[in-house]
Amino acid sequence: MIRGTVVGQVWATRKARGLEGRKLLVVAARDAEGRPTGRLVVAVDVLDAGVGEDVTVAFGSGARNVLRPGPENRDLLCDAAVAAIVEGAG
Amino acid sequence: MFLGRVAGTVWSTVKWPETRGLKLLLVRPYRLGDLAPGAVRAGAEASEPTDDLVVCADLLDAGPGDDVLVAFGHAARVAVSEKLAPGAKPNVPIDAAVVAVVDRVEIESETRR
Repeated sequence: MIRGTVVGQVWATRKARGLEGRKLLVVAARDAEGRPTGRLVVAVDVLDAGVGEDVTVAFGSGARNVLRPGPENRDLLCDAAVAAIVEGAG
Repeated sequence: MFLGRVAGTVWSTVKWPETRGLKLLLVRPYRLGDLAPGAVRAGAEASEPTDDLVVCADLLDAGPGDDVLVAFGHAARVAVSEKLAPGAKPNVPIDAAVVAVVDRVEIESETRR
């Protein structure tokens, strides 16, 4: 997983069927010191995170487990999802 | 997933049978500094992306200059296997695919603090 800050949102009408109805957030990754690394990740959001909030983003099957706990979730189109809204980090 | 701009197309003659007919695009990912804060219309006010190129399968008929969302890994194989039976596993040998052609990106806040 990575830690990052929600910086925006993406809208698309032409998309794969598996993405229909999904809220897609742009997350800027942060390094150990909390500085933005420059890397941007687009994550599916079901936790209703907002712009400016710090979040963790899970990848791969971990991301699918956020949307629907496995193992029967391999039909989901999701490789990154907001897994938690961060309240503090030290 | 990541956000990027289509920079070109790739052709190949030797391919696995499962990928025959799949269009391959070159996509350059956006980094934080490429997207200005405020409403950014896809294809317009964003500066050119600066990162390394990624080769992606494309079923959405995206073209050079389009801003797209790209998924990696299993999600990419699910995206190009739309008629997959329940429980079946995709067998295409790809790990990146265009999953959306972006209409609009809104970057609302600076993260430097």
